[in-house]
Amino acid sequence: MVGGLLLTFVLCMATAGRFLGGGVPAAFGDALRVDGLSALVLVLCGFVGLLSGTYGVGYLRRNEARGLVAPRMRRKFYGLIPAYVFAMLLVSVSNNLGIMWIAVELTTLASVFLITFHDRDTSLEAAWKFLMLGSLGLAFALLGTVLLFASGQGHLGEGMSALHWTRFMQAAPSLHPFTLRLGVVFALIGYGTKAGLAPMHTWKPDAYREAPSPAVVLMAVGMLNGALYCILRIHLISKAALGPGFSSGLLLTLGLLSVLVATPFILIQWNLKRLLAYSSIEHVGIMALGVGLGAKAGVFGALLHMTYHSLAKPMALVSAGTLAQLHSSSDFKRIGGGTFGRAPIASAIFVLSAVIITGSPPFGIFFSEMTILRAGFSGPHVTVTAVFLAALIVLFCGFAYQVGHLVIGPPRDPAEGVSEPESFDVGMGTTILAAILAVVSAFYLPGPLMALIHAATRVVWGGA
Amino acid sequence: MTTSDVLILCAAGMLVSAYLMVGQRALFTAIRLYGVQSLLLAIVAATIAVSEGRHELFVMAAITLVLKAILIPWFLMRMIDRIGIHREIEPFLNVPASLLVCLGLTVVGYRVSTGFPEGARGVSHHLVGVALSMLLIGLFLMVTRKKAITQILALLTVENAVFLVAVGVTSGMPLVVELGISFDVILAVLILGILVHRIVDRFESMDVSRLSKLKG
Repeated sequence: MVGGLLLTFVLCMATAGRFLGGGVPAAFGDALRVDGLSALVLVLCGFVGLLSGTYGVGYLRRNEARGLVAPRMRRKFYGLIPAYVFAMLLVSVSNNLGIMWIAVELTTLASVFLITFHDRDTSLEAAWKFLMLGSLGLAFALLGTVLLFASGQGHLGEGMSALHWTRFMQAAPSLHPFTLRLGVVFALIGYGTKAGLAPMHTWKPDAYREAPSPAVVLMAVGMLNGALYCILRIHLISKAALGPGFSSGLLLTLGLLSVLVATPFILIQWNLKRLLAYSSIEHVGIMALGVGLGAKAGVFGALLHMTYHSLAKPMALVSAGTLAQLHSSSDFKRIGGGTFGRAPIASAIFVLSAVIITGSPPFGIFFSEMTILRAGFSGPHVTVTAVFLAALIVLFCGFAYQVGHLVIGPPRDPAEGVSEPESFDVGMGTTILAAILAVVSAFYLPGPLMALIHAATRVVWGGA
Repeated sequence: MTTSDVLILCAAGMLVSAYLMVGQRALFTAIRLYGVQSLLLAIVAATIAVSEGRHELFVMAAITLVLKAILIPWFLMRMIDRIGIHREIEPFLNVPASLLVCLGLTVVGYRVSTGFPEGARGVSHHLVGVALSMLLIGLFLMVTRKKAITQILALLTVENAVFLVAVGVTSGMPLVVELGISFDVILAVLILGILVHRIVDRFESMDVSRLSKLKG
C-alpha cells in the first residue's frame, strides 16, 4: 500500500510539474483539469496520503501486536485508506461541479467506516452524527450546484460540459443573479460543513476522537483542503458574476466565527484529539478569513497557510496519535500528566508541533498568519482583523496551557497514566520524518512549491 | 388534464405527503408516505420528459421509481421489521405545533421561489415553491424527531426536494452526474441502515437522542 501511495504522490508531483512547465493537463473532455489551485491541492493531498499510509502501517502493526486488530479489519483498513486518497485527489482535479460533488460524497462514505473502525459505543455516535450532518451538508451542496446550473440556463450549453467550472467562468456575466446568489449560499454552507467551518463544525471533534489517527490525518488535512478547494471554486464563480462583495462577506463571517467558536473549547478541552479538532476548525477559519478579506495578500496568505498547515498538522496528529496509542486512550484523564517522562520522543515532537501550529515564530504558520493580518489591517476590515488577532492570542495561551499540563504537568494520580514504552518502528519513523519536514519547510520551501502557491493565488485572485 | 395540471397536482401531492409525515407516528406509514412522494417525483420527471421530448429524463424517472419508490422503502421496512420498533416516540415538539411551524415554512418557501426567473413553464414557480417548502420541512423533521429511521426519512425528503428543484428549474443535469448522485444516495442509505442496526444492537434502542456522550 505504501508503495502505491508513493507512486501516487510521484504522479501528483509529475502532474504539477507539467503544469509548471506551462501546460494545463486535462482529461475526459476537460472534466478533470489542473490549474494552479488544483496543482497545489493535488500535491498537498498526495503528500498527506503518503504520510498517513506510512504511519498507518506502523499504527496498525502496533495495535495488532496487542491483539486489538483482527486480520479482517486490517484488510478493511488497507482498502479504505487508498479509497479515501483516491476520492480526495479526484476532488482536487475536478473541473466539473457534478464530479466534484460526487468525489466529496465518496470521501464522506469512506470516512464513516474509518470512524467506526474501533467499534465502540462512542464511535457509533460519532459516525451517526458525522453521516447525518455530512449528508445534509452534501444535500445543500447539491442544491447549490443545481441552482448554479439553473442560473445559467441557456448560457452553459448542453451535456456534460455544461457543469464545467471553466464554462461557468465564461458565462459568468449572463448568469441569473437571484438564482446564483441562492445557489452560492447553499453551496458554501454545504461544502463549509465538509470543511468544518462553524457553525457546521460539530461533527469534527467527535469524528477526530473516534477515528484511528492515520485516518484523522486524512480528514484534518486532505478533506479540509479538498472542501476548501470546492469553496474557492464556488467563491470564484460568485466573484466573477456578482462582484467580490457577496461571497467574500460570507467567507469572512464564517471564518471569523470558526476562530471564535474554537477558542473557548480549546481552553476547556478534555481530550487530546478533540483539542486538535478544534485547532483544525481554527485553521480552516483562518484560511476562509484570509480569502474573505478581499485582498491579494490575504488570498496569498490563506494559500500559504494551507501549505504550511498541511505540512505541520500531520506532525501534530501523528505524535498525538502515538501518545494516545501508548496510553490506549486520548482522554487527558487517562493519559495523565507528565508524558515526557514516559514517552520522551513523541512528547517532544508533540510540543514542537504545538509550537508550530499555534503560529509561533520562526515557523511557517507564523508568517502566513502575519501575511493575513497585515492584509486585514491595511484593508477595510480592521475591526474583524483586530478581533481575529485577539482570538489568536487567546488560542495560543489556551494551547500552551493544555500542552504544558499534558507533557510536564505532575501525574495527578500514580495509578493514572499507565503506558507502554516507546519503541522504534514504522510509525515512530514516520512521526520523526513528519517533524523534520515540518521544521525544514518553515525555513525553506522548495522553489516549485512556492511557484505553485503563486500560481494558485493567480487563479483565486484573477488577473495574469 | 393538461401537462401543467399534472405537474401541479403531483407537486401538491408531494407537499401533502411531507405534511402527513410530520403528523405521523407509525414508522411503516411514514415510510410508505416517502414511497408515495418518490413515486410522484418520478411522475413529475416522466411528465416533463414527455411534454418536452427530453428522453434522458425518462432514465431519471425510472431510477427514481426503482430506487426511491421501491428499493429504499423496502429496505427500510425490512429493517424496522427485524428491529421490531414500529412507533415514533413523543417528538420534541407536539404534532399540532409542528404542523403550524410547517405551514410557516411553506409560506417562506413560496416567498423565496418568487425570485426565480419565469421559465418556459409557468408551473416551475410551483415546483420550486413546493421543493423549497419540502426542504425546510425535512430540516425541521430532522431536528425535532428522535428515532433514527425518522431522521433518515427526513434526509431523504430533503434529497427529494433537491431533485424536484433539479427537474423543475433546469433542463436536466447531465446524465452522468445524475447517475453518480443516485448511486451515492443509495450508498448513503445503506450505510445509515448498517449504522442503525449497530446502534440498536448496542443501545437496545433506536432513539438517537441517547447518543449524547460526546460533548465539549
